[in-house]
Amino acid sequence: MSTRHSTYAEHYLQDNEVAERHDKTFFGVREKRDRMAHDLPEWEDLRKAADGIKRHTVTHLAEYLEQFEANAVKNGIHVHWAADSDEYNAIVLDILRSHAVKKVVKSKSMLTEECHLNESLEKNGMEVIETDLGERILQMMHLAPSHIVMPALHVHREQIGDCFREQIPGTSESDDPTYLTHVARLHLRKQFMEAGAGMTGANFGIAATGEVVVCTNEGNADMSTSIPKLHIVSMGIEKLIPDYRSMAVFQRLLARCGTGQETTVYTSHFRGPRPGGEMHIILVDNGRSQILGDADHWQTLKCMRCGACMNTCPVYRRSSGYSYTYFIPGPIGVNLGMLRDKDKYYDNVSACSLCCSCDNVCPVKVDLSTQIYRWRQELDSLGHSDPMKKFMSKRMAFLFNHPGVYTGTLRLAKAVNWMPKCLVNSKLNPWAYGHKMMKFPKNSFHRLWKKKKI
Amino acid sequence: MNKMSAREQILNALRGNTRERYDMPDLSEISPIVYDDPVGQFIKKATTTAGAKLLEMEAGDSIDELVLLAYPEAKIIASNVKGVTAQLNPDTVETAQELASVDVGVIEGAIGVAENACVWIPQTMKEKAVCFASEYLVILLHKHDIVNNMHEAYARIEASDKYFQKYKFGTFISGPSKTADIESALVYGAQAARGVTVVLINN
Ligand code: SF4
Ligand code: SF4
Repeated sequence: MSTRHSTYAEHYLQDNEVAERHDKTFFGVREKRDRMAHDLPEWEDLRKAADGIKRHTVTHLAEYLEQFEANAVKNGIHVHWAADSDEYNAIVLDILRSHAVKKVVKSKSMLTEECHLNESLEKNGMEVIETDLGERILQMMHLAPSHIVMPALHVHREQIGDCFREQIPGTSESDDPTYLTHVARLHLRKQFMEAGAGMTGANFGIAATGEVVVCTNEGNADMSTSIPKLHIVSMGIEKLIPDYRSMAVFQRLLARCGTGQETTVYTSHFRGPRPGGEMHIILVDNGRSQILGDADHWQTLKCMRCGACMNTCPVYRRSSGYSYTYFIPGPIGVNLGMLRDKDKYYDNVSACSLCCSCDNVCPVKVDLSTQIYRWRQELDSLGHSDPMKKFMSKRMAFLFNHPGVYTGTLRLAKAVNWMPKCLVNSKLNPWAYGHKMMKFPKNSFHRLWKKKKI
Repeated sequence: MNKMSAREQILNALRGNTRERYDMPDLSEISPIVYDDPVGQFIKKATTTAGAKLLEMEAGDSIDELVLLAYPEAKIIASNVKGVTAQLNPDTVETAQELASVDVGVIEGAIGVAENACVWIPQTMKEKAVCFASEYLVILLHKHDIVNNMHEAYARIEASDKYFQKYKFGTFISGPSKTADIESALVYGAQAARGVTVVLINN
């Protein structure tokens, strides 16, 4: 028995070289993140604070949204509310139409992806240009993102070169990344000059001041909003934080966790329209308020989309974003997909070895693996459970309900490394069938942690 | 029947679905990193990870000379900073598009952050495009405006009434625009400034 994830992954793994490169690339980002964490003595306090701030904010979200709206309106910003993606798409279209906009430049936003905004605008005759380099490459190649922060790392330079040569006149034979980035720079400059509106997401909304914060390395969000006079912000309602003191905590965590940098190059605070311009913020629910009521899964609302859980996940790294059926892959994507539509996205629940690494890197402490485990339990009642895997699930349930045993088992797990392969990777062990058994490290994370080596 | 507005619908759903409520954590429990020599740390971060150049300005130096020293090829300079010789002024250009041809933008930073080489740039000009569309950027920063970490920087912004008054924008910039979107190869000059020089002013 297999899930769509394991089938896609099996297909993907046939090209060993590609798979290995993918694994190494993202593990490299994970290692950079580790260095960032080790460099700051207050790292765990920051995570604790980030978790606490998000817990507080999402459980007082109605009040904070009202405060945010009142302050934003005082700042001269138009605030809109969208209950679902249809309402959201209609509001964007309406604003653009009332300004007779034909071309929109966009900086990366997972929310617009979630709501299929580009399709909606294009259907209505507008030209939409993604301006993040990775996103632009994917848009030109008609591909979907395979990661939420580094969306095009799976595409190779030769493919990008070919695509540019075909679509950007004057591109030479070189596939050098510096050259290709420069070609894109000139190509995108032209788009910024011609566009009638700039659209951005929001990494954070600050309730106390009524402003949004957008973080990029390329400066594309800033180019998008410094040249066109109309700025539209699309913001999921869970992106709110209370104040500047909270902002400091998140600014310090976001880039360190996501890409292993101390900061993004640009951390831009938008507190109102440009001189002579107009600024709109669309607050989008699209299922979020329902998630809040879900005792098992509400913590996904704390997520700030840093991507760290993907980079560390052995299953993500070895199966790539396209093996998942939801547009957000990796640990957080498995959970968000299930919250979106269980019947459609349940395959992804198999994409997990319950190694818990995602929980340990998440800056806001989303209980990712516990949630995946809960979904597996629930699959039973949905009739999607693979009987083979039930066998394993029962044992996992035992482990999770007995934390003492869990720690002990991880320590014992080392013994697995010396067990004959036929025993470990046999059909007796349903997770080994279709999943190559992981090597358990000599020192588990928990033990290193206790020994203060991490 | 009156259809509930999306706003009401969302707020009601949130109120109805909130179960346990959590208090705001005490952020004073964090003791953020501080440096023996914040200026030295800023210089180190700016010139390594951030990828910026750094010049120190002593009494008697002119900004014009330093700009020329950093970017000798520059033809079009844009600035509204007093005492800087510029061909374009972001306060008086008709449109932001005019700033697309700028070789070097000269702007003022208000706070430098030692932990990550961020410089707080409050918008003090009509067209902020000068901060992003210029090929190269010169950022002026007083040494005494360097703080240890982002907590201190945000506290300063919050405590001041200088920012977000006339223009409702401000940004932290740490070095030149960069990307690693093509096979993780680090390339400077993705969309915005291809190079940044921070001029540290001694007082
Ligand atoms: S617990 Fe599952 S989802 Fe999380 S990192 Fe491990 S394999 Fe990936
Ligand atoms: S779940 Fe945590 S680690 Fe994963 S993207 Fe969200 S914030 Fe980052």
